[in-house]
Amino acid sequence: MTLAQKGRWTTGVGLVLLAAVYVRALAFTPVERLQGAAQKIFYLHVPAAIWTETAMVLVGVASIFFLFLKDSRLDSFAAASAEVGTAFATIVLTTGPIWGKPIWGTWWTWDARLTSTLFLFFLYIGYLLLRGAVLDPGVRARYSAVLGICGLCLVPFIHFSVYLFRTLHPMPIILKPSSPSLPGNMLATWLFSLAVFTILYVGFVMQRYALVRAREGAQHV
Amino acid sequence: MSDAVPQNAGYMVAAYIVAAVILAAYAASLYRRTKGL
Repeated sequence: MTLAQKGRWTTGVGLVLLAAVYVRALAFTPVERLQGAAQKIFYLHVPAAIWTETAMVLVGVASIFFLFLKDSRLDSFAAASAEVGTAFATIVLTTGPIWGKPIWGTWWTWDARLTSTLFLFFLYIGYLLLRGAVLDPGVRARYSAVLGICGLCLVPFIHFSVYLFRTLHPMPIILKPSSPSLPGNMLATWLFSLAVFTILYVGFVMQRYALVRAREGAQHV
Repeated sequence: MSDAVPQNAGYMVAAYIVAAVILAAYAASLYRRTKGL
């Protein structure tokens, strides 16, 4: 079985499990009293946000190693992770405002967390455009690696922006030094969703990586 | 102060549909691009 086929199977399993997350979140997880049903957006928004940031961290780490080792597989992985991160960032930037409207009374506000996440999305788009615009594979890989490292530097700023600035965005209730401030049933749903988003990330990256390697192989022929 | 739970399920449904569409569209795009591999 090829890597692309393994990726397709992994993605298929991830999508089936995503349906199970929907059933669990919508039918078997209690409604939060203050926010109402809109709070359940959290079960998709936060795992997508975690993988948006993690995907860029992996792009940056692969880019650093690429600049030292000059191994094209690292560049291919960075390209794959960036495209998948863009898909997850799109989920974050659409589900977030849909939650914000009923809870904050506005779709968008230019606070530090939201603005820096939007900047990360534009950085992802810029990264993909750069890869499409530069024809020479060596130059493309070097330029992309520099941009990927810039993205890596942005991620800690996004994560800690809620501590550094006064923002409307809620403080972390799970990824924080103390124990999660979430009832067990809700936490289980969130962890299930995070696991499914992890499977989807792996499945997507396997397919995208196989595609990048196949295209590079075709260019060298 | 009212103890009533806010009635905003429509926003939840919209967000779940949007996320499903994005993930399904991206999965379909990858499937189409990698079909021969």
